[in-house]
Amino acid sequence: MYRVAVDVGGTFTDVVLQNEETGEFFGTKTPSTTHDQSEGLITGIMKICKEQNVDVNDIHSIIHGTTVATNAVLEEKGAKVGLITTAGFEQILHVARSWTPAPVSAWMGFLKPEPLADLIHTAGAKERMTAQGTVHLELDEEDIKEKIKGFYDQGIQSLTISLLNSYANSAHEERIREIAEEINPDIPVSISHDILPEFREYERTLTTVMNSYVRPSMQLYLNNVATKLANEKVESHISIVRSDGGLMSIEAASSRPVHTMLSGPAGGVTASAMIGNQTGYKNIISFDMGGTSTDVSLTYNGVPKVVRETLVGVFPVKSPSLGVVSIGAGGGSIAHVPLTGALRVGPRSAGATPGPACYSKGGTDPTVTDANMVLGYLPASLVGGEMKLDIEASKEAIKPIAEKLGVDVYAAALGIYNIVNENMYGATRVVSVEKGYDPREFSLLALGGAGPLHANAIGDLSGSFPVIIPPTPGVLSALGFLQADIRNEYSKTFIKLLSQLQTEDVVSELTGLGDNCDQWLAGEHVPANQRTIKYEADVRYLRQGHEIPFEIDLNKLKEEGLDLIKNRFDEMHQVAFGFKMDTEVEIVNVRAVAIGKVDSPKLPTVKPGDSDASKAIVDDTHEAYFDNAFQKTLIYDRHFLVPNNRITGPAIVTQKDSTTLILPGNVAVVDENLNLLIQREA
Amino acid sequence: MTKIDSITVDIIENALKNSKDEMDVTLFKAAMSPVIREQHDCFPMITDAEGSMVVGNFGSHVPEVVKQFPEGVQEGDVIFVSDPYTSGGSVSHVNDWMIILPIFYEGTLVGYSSMFGHVIDVGGPVPSSMPVDATSIYGEGVRFPPVKLFAKGVLNEAVIAIIKANSRTPLENYSDLMALVASCRTAEKRVQEICSRFGIETYFAAMNAALERTNLMMRDLITKILPTEPVSFEDFIDDDGLGNGPFKMKLTIWREDDHAYFDWTGTDPQSPGPINYYLSEPMFKMFIGSFLISAFDPDINFNDGFYDVLHVISPKGTLMNPEFPAALGCRTHALSRMFDVLSGALSVNAPDSSPAAGYGTSPYFIFSGVDAKGEKFNLMEVQYGGLPGRPIGDGLDGHSWWPAFVNIPTEYLETYYPLIVDSYKTGTDSGGAGFYRGGNCNEKLYTILADGIVSIHDDRALIQPWGINGGEPGSCSSKTLIKQDGTRIHLASKIDDVKVEKGDQILFITAGSGGWGDPLDRPAEKVQSDVRRGLVSKEKALKSYGVYLDDYLELDEKQTEAVRAKIKVDRGTLESFNFGERKEQVHA
Repeated sequence: MYRVAVDVGGTFTDVVLQNEETGEFFGTKTPSTTHDQSEGLITGIMKICKEQNVDVNDIHSIIHGTTVATNAVLEEKGAKVGLITTAGFEQILHVARSWTPAPVSAWMGFLKPEPLADLIHTAGAKERMTAQGTVHLELDEEDIKEKIKGFYDQGIQSLTISLLNSYANSAHEERIREIAEEINPDIPVSISHDILPEFREYERTLTTVMNSYVRPSMQLYLNNVATKLANEKVESHISIVRSDGGLMSIEAASSRPVHTMLSGPAGGVTASAMIGNQTGYKNIISFDMGGTSTDVSLTYNGVPKVVRETLVGVFPVKSPSLGVVSIGAGGGSIAHVPLTGALRVGPRSAGATPGPACYSKGGTDPTVTDANMVLGYLPASLVGGEMKLDIEASKEAIKPIAEKLGVDVYAAALGIYNIVNENMYGATRVVSVEKGYDPREFSLLALGGAGPLHANAIGDLSGSFPVIIPPTPGVLSALGFLQADIRNEYSKTFIKLLSQLQTEDVVSELTGLGDNCDQWLAGEHVPANQRTIKYEADVRYLRQGHEIPFEIDLNKLKEEGLDLIKNRFDEMHQVAFGFKMDTEVEIVNVRAVAIGKVDSPKLPTVKPGDSDASKAIVDDTHEAYFDNAFQKTLIYDRHFLVPNNRITGPAIVTQKDSTTLILPGNVAVVDENLNLLIQREA
Repeated sequence: MTKIDSITVDIIENALKNSKDEMDVTLFKAAMSPVIREQHDCFPMITDAEGSMVVGNFGSHVPEVVKQFPEGVQEGDVIFVSDPYTSGGSVSHVNDWMIILPIFYEGTLVGYSSMFGHVIDVGGPVPSSMPVDATSIYGEGVRFPPVKLFAKGVLNEAVIAIIKANSRTPLENYSDLMALVASCRTAEKRVQEICSRFGIETYFAAMNAALERTNLMMRDLITKILPTEPVSFEDFIDDDGLGNGPFKMKLTIWREDDHAYFDWTGTDPQSPGPINYYLSEPMFKMFIGSFLISAFDPDINFNDGFYDVLHVISPKGTLMNPEFPAALGCRTHALSRMFDVLSGALSVNAPDSSPAAGYGTSPYFIFSGVDAKGEKFNLMEVQYGGLPGRPIGDGLDGHSWWPAFVNIPTEYLETYYPLIVDSYKTGTDSGGAGFYRGGNCNEKLYTILADGIVSIHDDRALIQPWGINGGEPGSCSSKTLIKQDGTRIHLASKIDDVKVEKGDQILFITAGSGGWGDPLDRPAEKVQSDVRRGLVSKEKALKSYGVYLDDYLELDEKQTEAVRAKIKVDRGTLESFNFGERKEQVHA
């Protein structure tokens, strides 16, 4: 039997097919179909079955990473959302957190995006809960009924209910949902207590509105997928990848699409963790560089880090994800020199069309890809590449930059290459140094088409060696999906001082959430012996504003009592901030994470060779520009490399979906799983 | 000096910007006062070895402070200061606690990191330490002249003991202070890493180059936008909380070649109350620079490189340069009004690039007492208001004029303090009409759940925020105490010791802001959607914008055209500035 993973990206849909008995896998690509991603999905699945001669009926599961939800937000094509708040707080999204940027006076140039639910489509419910969860004002049912009817008359397609203090008591939200569903059961209703039962009303409302905004598109899409699979008589079980790398059913994804906002990047992170574990380098900073953006993430000791807030466009959404930091720089980023005479790269991008100048598709702006071209890092004819690249066009594009800087075209190109690397390095710092991790204890793993061209240079900046280039950097995200487990979370805002609590209180809260996890896993048909439940608490000193989350061993907690939490927290605070305090410790949120283990077959290994890589050389005359001069730079074909082969930099390794640059002073060795491990020369 | 290519300068500058952002992150996570960690009343900075700011949100104050240590600074020293008078106005009231940390790399001083934050209470007669009736700085809580909190790495425990003995919130203050230090240490580590990466010579050269770049850009900007003939502008602060006022702030500006002059002559004498602003000259230069950059060319990097081309004249004994020991606690009115005056003066030569006037202060709601469980509480909440109509668009409703500040979540307030927020919205019609509408004010209604006392700090309760280029002025602020029996008591904009009882309500309304440009030119559809959103009333749409909406808020284009034509005839020529009812309030 086979499994197939599908990753729908902006330009290509990547498909990876895996034989469950042997672990062997095969990848292919098909153009993405932006008007309806499900077409590309079906085409891709049929294509790989044909290429590998596999009967579609032998595929028993499909694992799918989708950008439908993210695109709805980025392209502003989501639903017309109605929002019900507590009366008196209708302007919650309009005022947001009142934030304007620094420095002083910068508000003059601050353009704020329109909220996802228009004030015109926002209404207040006459009701009120207290922070303690008691009813302060009973819900006026007649009033809200009329308001909902009014919404539906105005053509509202998706309804959000987010009331003050509903994290403490959701009765009114639930009652309004019942009322809404009585009026029209076909309009999806999202309530904030379901989506994010945590305190801080703006973030909870925003996240729930985001869910409503993308929900109809997601439902439509998932219906299309189901219909198309049925038409092709494919009876596989389909799972959707969550932002935190877990899997969810179609039903779950239809009602909580906000959990899929970073579905695609999650695959890359999961795959990076997998390769880290495979190579023994378990601390990984992965960077996925595409045409317009780059995603950076961190995996510590083999386990990717789950964070609770992420930016979707400009909106800070609170939903668990694999801590991906996205920056708007990629191969298509355009270089320019403003009046100050500084060289800047991005944020404007040439995108897929017209693309870099060297693609000969009408682009004339100097992009990062053009800089790579001029420097000789990107060979003009790519092995298996479908297009020939025009180096003269790249030079023409970069000339104006060189003139403004008063240098030659090669120095300008190198400047572009260095600046973009510096930006990427900045992003790697956000996930490492800023979170208290030393990047020198990590390996840098490159994925995406453009990643391997910059990986060695960024590894140099951050001191993260070896730099790892996996065998298929271009389709790695899809491969990552095959490693995913089924996953969900149940959390609750708690807000209690340790001194007010007995050990049993915390244990019973956690156990209750754990029971929810267990039931959910049973509902997802996960056998009991493959279920794991992890417990976490978010903790802080009384009156601090930010919590530090950490895992709690339930048995240890029962034995050692609440001191376990206090001591652990003190330690973490000391490490992070250099001081601890002799004051009360407060638990803010408790959480249980449900994990259903999915059996992932091991990847096969390849027969090793020796250190001589000369058989893979495809061009022994090529030159590339380093340190103010051109140097001879051999080009190797990745396809011919076998384990133990050794390549001394400068060198270029080409393959179908990517190009790797090995800098002077560095050496790459092929490991048993065909990863390239780049180290500084001893 | 090492010659340096401009790309390396960019790289080092970006690395420093990242470090500055890391300083914020560290502080927010470790600090305790809500005003720092929830509202972000704090300002990071990294300077070069001479103390010039290379990255930061405000201006540099380092040289003034450091020169007070005759023995100089050593590795491991951490300077702490909260006294405006002995630090040359580095901080402007005693609630702002500042840490300055000299950064050494291999024994050489390479720069300073500095962070200041508004701590919740520093002693004195009223909770939160900003008595509105203080008549000297001795009545505003404990002051720290520049002292070494750490000397060569050793903590001065005496300072901590003094802090704890003098504040109503010793725990919060201790945590905030240590968080400020942690934040500066973050920058220290980053700067050391950069030095080790590039070498100290290159690092110094890069900083000089970054400062020089900004200097050149600023000279260019001055020549383009400032008049050679002096122009003046005045605006007013309502009162000083002691019954005096309004207080005039007058600024005259001109340029001589590519140097700019800013002259406060004509500003009223200092107030007996706490509204004086002891304005440090470097700080004022920085404000001007930041304003010019934001208004005219946001591409310019914001740093201290332009100090030598700005010249400030500020007569002693005035509101903007008071003599010791004038009280300074409530200086945010003058601090933010200063920007309204600056904007007005600059607009004389460049009307299209300057915004109108905004809510023009930092309104505080302070509530303290003992809750039902017998625990003391002390809440200080910064409120926001209307941001002005501006050259690029509408003013934001209920947003922060202060950089990177945010509001406190209602669910947070209700969890930790004995109150309920009944409503929190922006005030319909409070923003002045304009081609770009002025932002609306904040309107927040609280129900008090425990007996206690309230302080209020606000301004623009008498003098409206003006509109510009034909825009109308915004509305004034107001505060009302609503007793349980329904009695409504008007509260002054600056007041302490308001006794409140369980069940009382406080209605806190800040000022709106002025509109930008002729409201009759605003597209009618935009006015219509403002009305549908409840931000502008149907009546104001008709009266100020000439937009006629029917009972279903549908647009009547014909009527609109007619109404607009009539208003145009009736009103005559539009003035550059619309001060509203200011004349009635200013008896000068």
